[in-house]
Amino acid sequence: MKKSLFALAIALAFGTVASVQAQPAPAAATAPATINDAQIAHIAYTAGAIDVTAAKQALKKSHNKAVLAFAEEMQRDHAAVNEQALALCKKLGVTPADNPTSQALAKAAAAEQVKLAALSGAAYDKAYAANEVAFHQTVNKALSGTLIPSARNEELKSLLETGLKLFESHQMHAEHLAQSLK
Amino acid sequence: MRRTMMVFASLLAMGGWAVATAAPTKPPAAVRSATPAPQVHVIVVDTMQYGPMPTGVRAGDIIEWVNRGLLEHTATARDGRFDIDLKPGATVRMKAMAGTVEVYCRFHPTMVATLVVK
Repeated sequence: MKKSLFALAIALAFGTVASVQAQPAPAAATAPATINDAQIAHIAYTAGAIDVTAAKQALKKSHNKAVLAFAEEMQRDHAAVNEQALALCKKLGVTPADNPTSQALAKAAAAEQVKLAALSGAAYDKAYAANEVAFHQTVNKALSGTLIPSARNEELKSLLETGLKLFESHQMHAEHLAQSLK
Repeated sequence: MRRTMMVFASLLAMGGWAVATAAPTKPPAAVRSATPAPQVHVIVVDTMQYGPMPTGVRAGDIIEWVNRGLLEHTATARDGRFDIDLKPGATVRMKAMAGTVEVYCRFHPTMVATLVVK
C-alpha cells in the first residue's frame, strides 16, 4: 500500500524523537539528551488531539455510516484518554511541554486537514480511512518504540501502555474500515 | 381525588409485596434442592476486551458486568435481548436468560465474546 505524505510527515515528526534520543550525551552534561516526561505527555496529548480534530471533520463531511461510526469512536476515545492524561499531569504536577515533535505533528496534521477538506464522497471516506490506518500505525510504533521506553514516571508509562492497547484496537478497526471501502 | 386513589393503589401494592416477602412459604426439601440459588458471575471489561466468559451459567443467574477501563463500552447482545451501557468504573447486573448469544460493544466493533447460558 502506498503510504500517504501525511503518514510520512507523521513518521518524520516522531523521527525527531528518535534522533534526539540517538544523540550521544555531551561529556560535560549531567543528564542524557532524551525527551522528558513533560514532553512525552505533550506529544501523546497532541497525537490524541489531532485524531479528535480529524474525527470532527469526518463527522461533518462523511455520509457513510461505517465512517461516521468510526469517527465517533475516535472522537470519544481519544478525548477520554487525553482527559486522563491531563488529570495525571495535574496529579503529578507536570506541565506538558511543547517540543519539536509536537510541533511537527501538528503542522503535518493541519496540512492533511486542508487536503482532506478538498475531497468529498467516497474519495474523502477512502482518504480519511487510509490516513487513520497510517496515523495509528505510526503513533503505535512511536509509543512502543520510543515514548513508553522513555517515560520515567511509572503512572505515565502505565497510561501510555494502556493507550497503546486501545490504539492498537483502533488501528485494527481502521484497517477493517479501509478494507471495506475499497 | 384521582391522586388519592393512586396513592391508595400503591399502598395496596406495596402491602401485597410486603406480605409476600415477609411470610414466604417454606418449600419442601425436594424442591429446595432442585432449584439452586442464583449465582453471580462477574465479567470484567478492560483495555478494549471482555474478560473470560463464565462457564456453568444457568438461566436465572446474575451476570455482573464491570468496566475497569478508561473508555465507555457496551455489552450488547447481537440478537437484541440486552444492551447494557458501561461507563468507565460502572458495574451493572442483569439476569441471565437461557441461550447462546454473541455479545459486542456498540462503540468498539472489534470487541466480541460469546456468552452461553444453560
